[in-house]
Amino acid sequence: MKRPWLIGGAAIVVIGLLGMVAFGWRMAIAPIARPAVASFAPAQIARGEVLASAGYCATCHTAKGGAVLAGGYPMKTPFGTIYSTNITPDSETGIGTWSLAAFRRAMHEGVARDGSHLFPAFPYDHFTRLTDGDVADLYAFLMTRPAIKAPPKSNTIPFPLNLRLLQAGWKLLYFKPGRFTPDASKDAAWNRGAYLVEGISHCSACHTPRGALGAENKDKAYAGALVDHWIAPPLTGANPSPVPWGADELVAYLGTGVSRYHGVAAGPMGPVSHGLSKLPPADLKAVAAYLTSLNGAAGKSAAGAPAIGQALATDRSGTGLQYDAAARLYTAACASCHYNSGKEPNPLRPDLALNSAVNMDDPRNLIRVILYGVDAADGIPGVVMPGFARGFSNADVGRIANYVRATRTSRPAWTDLEQKVATIRAEGRGQEQ
Amino acid sequence: MTNFTVNGKAVTTRVDDDTPLLWVIRDVVGLTGTKFGCGIGMCGACTVHVGGRATRSCITPIAAVEGANITTIEGLDPASDHPLQQAWRALQVPQCGYCQSGQIMQAAAMLADFPAPTDEDIDTVMTGNLCRCMTYSRIRAAIKQAAAAMAPKS
Amino acid sequence: MNRPFSPDQPTTPWSRRAFLVAGGAGVIAFGFSHVIAAIDPAVPGNVPGAGTGPLFAPTQWFAIDSKGIVTVNIIRAEMGQHVGTGLARILADELEADWAKVRIVHVDTDPKWGLMVTGGSWSVWQTFPLFSQAGAAGRIALIEAGARLMGTTPDRCIAKGGAVHAGGRSISFGDIAKSGAVARQFTAEELAKLPIKSVARRQLIGRPTPALDIDAKTNGTAIYGIDAKVAGMVYARPKLPPTRNGAKVVSVDDSAAKNVAGYQRYLILEDPSDTVPGWVMAIADNYPAAIKAADLIEVSWVAGPGADVSEKMLLDHAAGLIARTDGGVDLDVSDGPSPANFGAGAASTLDASYTTGTVLHFQLEPVNALAFQKGGVFEVHTGNQWQSLILPTLAKALGIPEAKIVMRTYLLGGGFGRRLNGDYAVPAALAAQALGKPVKMILTREDDARFDSARSVSAQRLRMAFDRSGKVTAMEHHACAGWPTQALAPAVLAKNKAGDKYDPFAISGADHWYDVGRQRVRAIVNDMANTTFRPGWLRSVGPGWTNWALESFIDEAAHHIKADPVAFRLKLLTGAGRNAGSSPSAVGGALRQAEVVRRAAQMAGWDDKLPGDTALGLATSFGQERDMPTWTACVARVHVDRKTGVVRVEKLTLAVDAGTIVDPDGALAQVQGSALWGLSMALHEGTEFVNGQVRDTNLNSYMPLRMADVPEMDIAFVESPQPPVGLGEPATTVVGPAIGNAIFRAVGVRLRHIPITPAQLLTELKA
Ligand code: FES
Ligand code: FES
Repeated sequence: MKRPWLIGGAAIVVIGLLGMVAFGWRMAIAPIARPAVASFAPAQIARGEVLASAGYCATCHTAKGGAVLAGGYPMKTPFGTIYSTNITPDSETGIGTWSLAAFRRAMHEGVARDGSHLFPAFPYDHFTRLTDGDVADLYAFLMTRPAIKAPPKSNTIPFPLNLRLLQAGWKLLYFKPGRFTPDASKDAAWNRGAYLVEGISHCSACHTPRGALGAENKDKAYAGALVDHWIAPPLTGANPSPVPWGADELVAYLGTGVSRYHGVAAGPMGPVSHGLSKLPPADLKAVAAYLTSLNGAAGKSAAGAPAIGQALATDRSGTGLQYDAAARLYTAACASCHYNSGKEPNPLRPDLALNSAVNMDDPRNLIRVILYGVDAADGIPGVVMPGFARGFSNADVGRIANYVRATRTSRPAWTDLEQKVATIRAEGRGQEQ
Repeated sequence: MTNFTVNGKAVTTRVDDDTPLLWVIRDVVGLTGTKFGCGIGMCGACTVHVGGRATRSCITPIAAVEGANITTIEGLDPASDHPLQQAWRALQVPQCGYCQSGQIMQAAAMLADFPAPTDEDIDTVMTGNLCRCMTYSRIRAAIKQAAAAMAPKS
Repeated sequence: MNRPFSPDQPTTPWSRRAFLVAGGAGVIAFGFSHVIAAIDPAVPGNVPGAGTGPLFAPTQWFAIDSKGIVTVNIIRAEMGQHVGTGLARILADELEADWAKVRIVHVDTDPKWGLMVTGGSWSVWQTFPLFSQAGAAGRIALIEAGARLMGTTPDRCIAKGGAVHAGGRSISFGDIAKSGAVARQFTAEELAKLPIKSVARRQLIGRPTPALDIDAKTNGTAIYGIDAKVAGMVYARPKLPPTRNGAKVVSVDDSAAKNVAGYQRYLILEDPSDTVPGWVMAIADNYPAAIKAADLIEVSWVAGPGADVSEKMLLDHAAGLIARTDGGVDLDVSDGPSPANFGAGAASTLDASYTTGTVLHFQLEPVNALAFQKGGVFEVHTGNQWQSLILPTLAKALGIPEAKIVMRTYLLGGGFGRRLNGDYAVPAALAAQALGKPVKMILTREDDARFDSARSVSAQRLRMAFDRSGKVTAMEHHACAGWPTQALAPAVLAKNKAGDKYDPFAISGADHWYDVGRQRVRAIVNDMANTTFRPGWLRSVGPGWTNWALESFIDEAAHHIKADPVAFRLKLLTGAGRNAGSSPSAVGGALRQAEVVRRAAQMAGWDDKLPGDTALGLATSFGQERDMPTWTACVARVHVDRKTGVVRVEKLTLAVDAGTIVDPDGALAQVQGSALWGLSMALHEGTEFVNGQVRDTNLNSYMPLRMADVPEMDIAFVESPQPPVGLGEPATTVVGPAIGNAIFRAVGVRLRHIPITPAQLLTELKA
């Protein structure tokens, strides 16, 4: 999971100066000797492991082909590339010399042990909600990983934006530190879900649009946003899925990477479901309870929704003799895997009529999936959808997208598809390649 | 570097990330039963199972199968005696035979999802697999025969 | 019709020398015993096993080892017709072999095999007499030796099930071979007179017998050309020039390709045989790298002829040539030149023109070849249909004698005539020679399609004159198309009595068996096609277009005189005069064609009432050539959707008389496959030339028939004791016109171009 970070233009210089004056200067916290593994209780390490998974630490802190958590993963921003840091307990290049206090300050305030400000690519604005206990658990987990010596890669953010101090200004404007406070009017499950979603799992980091300087626009919380060339769909009632995201489907999707009524977790969402799958079932249910309160589907079950029967019926269109070039492309390229018959869609045969990507106003996600597929590591674990980028022209991809939209939904046709495919093809497969 | 298994054996390759799985299977692992027909995912000659799902290996970059379990026609059944292979032989399905590894692999994955497939199921799922010799009616019949043979006896 | 390959022309060794049947202790290796030798499709990996112990090898065509395994050598290419099984069965039947012990080996090229070509549906037809007699000779020799070993006389012995029996005793063929006791010689005359079994006594021919190549084709062990490997080989993919002929490389820039891991270098091919002018090869450690590199290499060329040619230019050019009174070659069926005024004296005339578009072979395995030098011999490992044609070209390209080249046999992932043209062997060989190491060249699908030997467009004009009673008094058929034989094998062009050369395959079918009075058939080469690309022989070749025109036209003629299309055909198929038929293969003549027409019509319920916009249409064919007719008739039941122009073929009914059916199941498979090819070419596939290139090069836009398009099929064979003839092609030629005729009967619209498209039909419906 990767997020493009806007690091503002001239404005940031100004606010950076402000920040310097206001609370820019932070003290270093004294280094410690790397704590012994035995100094952490196994139960604590185990709790930390679950949290690390639900926060996808390894996703951003592991370079492709590199050692886990040893950093070096590139995050491209309009201003340059930021490389994630080594968070293994290596004393020289990792966080081996960080005390719990230093680690907590980083999580809660976005300040490194040496006192420098962290780029907000590190979502401390969410981690600040974590309880001290959870932070300590995470610390226990990280400090007991194998220490990997991996020197940091230098970021390519140009001067003066590379001045860490400037980040202080950003914080001044956009960052409100503070632990999670439960909402007494809601039940315990909801509050637990809110804590996880808003805190460690930082869902809104992707699903909420950001302002010019890269901060989440709280007025449009969960309204959907563009992330890494993908659209993170709205998690509010504006979500376009024909079948509302009920609690059961959310649990299935977040826990396994696939929902029979919505499709698979692809793109930046792939690692999210794998990360959340480690949460205990009660926590996953809590997450679902919170999310369904956002989209208005709370208490509703998706099964039996009228859209499902309709989807299965339209699924059959395009079978049998076809002359239309688009229909023939669809039957040869897509139908083998996406066709369903019977009373329920098979989650391993993602039903396109129900798929969010097919139902969104913007065809981007569908086009990306057609071009680049879904890796074994994303979506349904161990299963691949191959991409058709090599052999299909932009017109071919556009034709299929248009055909699927027209035959599987009653939504308005997408326009300028060929051009959009060309643009998305030019973006390439993903940031890491 | 990519790690995966082919027919139960662990494989590690160091080819470029975008190298199609097809050529790794054929030229690195050395199993040539999986064929190259179109290279763009439109003929099915290259169909293998990835995680049990029929997958066109010609457009599957090797990096995409990290950690996955792959089965080729050579590994479908230890004695090459899968009910589909039996039916294929009984009905003398292959002509040139070039498409048939892919057809059988696609059919095997289909039967997992549709244990008693209708004509429509077969036509729709199998239409992605081109047979230039046009052995289609025999493929259809053989799939039904195999499905019947695999049906739980009550 | 003058066929370049006659049944007695290929290797019938006894026509030249005595046929020695002698046992011996020598071990015969079938084909070559090198690394990757000839193919036995029944063994995993396909490498033929050596025989056990002393062999009984009475002819080069088969041998029996001491375990009784009968190995039959096959010189035909296996591309889906199970040709080895079909031919071995003929031999095994006469030999009285045990089928479970029969093996087949597809041999490598060696002059001793004579002409090696697989096409024209000739394999069974040509080999039948040869293998029957070889089997009979073997049987006689085995009976004599067996009698001697059992201390009795040959007249008390019979051969059956792989053993010689006398009363209650028997000795197996394997034990006879082991004894080394067989010695028998036949003269050519004796051989020719050997009695061949009567139909009633056949054990294998005509009965269901499992094909020997099926197992390997269901478990991934069948080895095709693309699977050929040799240590130290590099991979190559060509960078194809803008034109098929006459292109020249000006400069090459591979700077971008150098970033591809595994890319080695490029190679500009110098080709004295002019087979691959302007080809540049990208050489790499692995094939994906070669694909990528070739995409990135930039070449500038001087294009050859035809770089601006379009489909319309090709068709217009053909129409222009037909309109001219000079040019073209009249076939010997013609009753002299036409009178200046064709319709003079006629009560009425009919005149119609038909066209067909460009079609690709699109065999599923893209063409490829592995070439290397070893021990002074150049080896080319590939699947090929006409080794005897490409060997001299390879010799010229490499500048070495033919005797120093051997082509190794592999299974073909589809042929359909594409691999009659072995052009793809040349670039691999040239690259291997230039690099001094083994080169494995594979064309991508797009490469394969671009330089396929496509089926040429055709334009045809047919005319017919009628008297007052509706009797046909004269007919003309002018057909213009690219001539594959001129482009690819000019040495085997046919000659008419006047000495004019023409491509027999490009006109075959126009010389039909209908009685039409004064007849003229004129073949015209589309020279623009021949210079722009290299027209190929595609499954059935000429009849693919001549029969489209002829059988559509016959229906138009029936309509013209208000006759029923079936009744009209039966009236013209009288079997009189020139159409009486002749021995050996065309006995019965047009009457046999009339019979299949009757049968197909009856099977399909010709007179049944059908729902609206639904109708039956019939077309018939005699297959490829007049002296080897495969009588075929097809009825298509078609529904036309007037709103969308979509033609739904609901059912195809075929009746076929192919003489003796050697392999009933294989015969059915061939007819199923070829009928569906016909359907595919009529309604689904087809491309167009644009700027000298075919427009569609892969399956994202070239759209052949797929499973969901397959209609119901009902196929019947006429039981016949006549010699077997070919089955691989005739059905391809009847489906298109049957559909066209059905469309006319359904909605009254006559289409004169294939492929038929909904757009074209809609336009006509609105007109
Ligand atoms: S070769 Fe993979 S689908 Fe054709
Ligand atoms: S059997 Fe030849 S392509 Fe299917």
